[in-house]
Amino acid sequence: MKLLMLAFLAGLIALLVWASADLPDRADPHAPANQHLSPELTEMTESEVVIPNLVSAILADFRSYDTLGETFVIFTAGLAVLLVLQRSRRVPEEDGDE
Amino acid sequence: MNDRYDSVILHFVARVVMIPLIVVFGIYVLLHGELSPGGGFQAGAIVAAALLLVRLALGNRQAALRIPQGLLIWLACIGLGIYMFGGILPLILGANFLDYAPIPVEWYNQFAGEHRTPRSMGIFIIEFGVFFGVAAVLVLIYDLIAGSSRQ
Repeated sequence: MKLLMLAFLAGLIALLVWASADLPDRADPHAPANQHLSPELTEMTESEVVIPNLVSAILADFRSYDTLGETFVIFTAGLAVLLVLQRSRRVPEEDGDE
Repeated sequence: MNDRYDSVILHFVARVVMIPLIVVFGIYVLLHGELSPGGGFQAGAIVAAALLLVRLALGNRQAALRIPQGLLIWLACIGLGIYMFGGILPLILGANFLDYAPIPVEWYNQFAGEHRTPRSMGIFIIEFGVFFGVAAVLVLIYDLIAGSSRQ
């Protein structure tokens, strides 16, 4: 069984390595993934945002709704930990003020 | 984890060498968020690491006194408020939510002697918001978990 698993994993690795040979180079401007939206975002970063850091321009300007959501997620995580782990200072008989 | 380790070397390295260096580096990462790799999330995590190092090296009870829990919750709320301010300010000035184009930057450029565009000013504002939110929440979660194990 273990030998079968090893053979299966070796086959999978060989398949993935063989398939990765067909991938385009990283940062290849003619790759299909870089044809659709990347040129526009790069040009808008140069013409409108005018900052050298493309990642910050995309993260905090073009995708700022996403970053807002991430900040809310972190804030909600903090609030959830606060609600679960906070030691209540109220004595049990006077917990009716809500 | 909760007791104070009475080691001179640990205290010296933590208080004099490491913590000021980490805090200064975190603020550098925050302020250079749009010039070099960096930004609010990373700077918040770095500054939170410095504050956690205070707690680990000097003991929880002593370090938690300096930043009480209520202040951390306020800082997280203020961070979100700064972010929402950066989103709502363009809304008031006549553009879409989080569309930084109409943010006035002339006063800042005159004051600081830079040439910022409105959009990079908006990025600057919301990175401060992310910074305060992330740093405060990370320290808050550590304090709560360490505090709940102390009793």
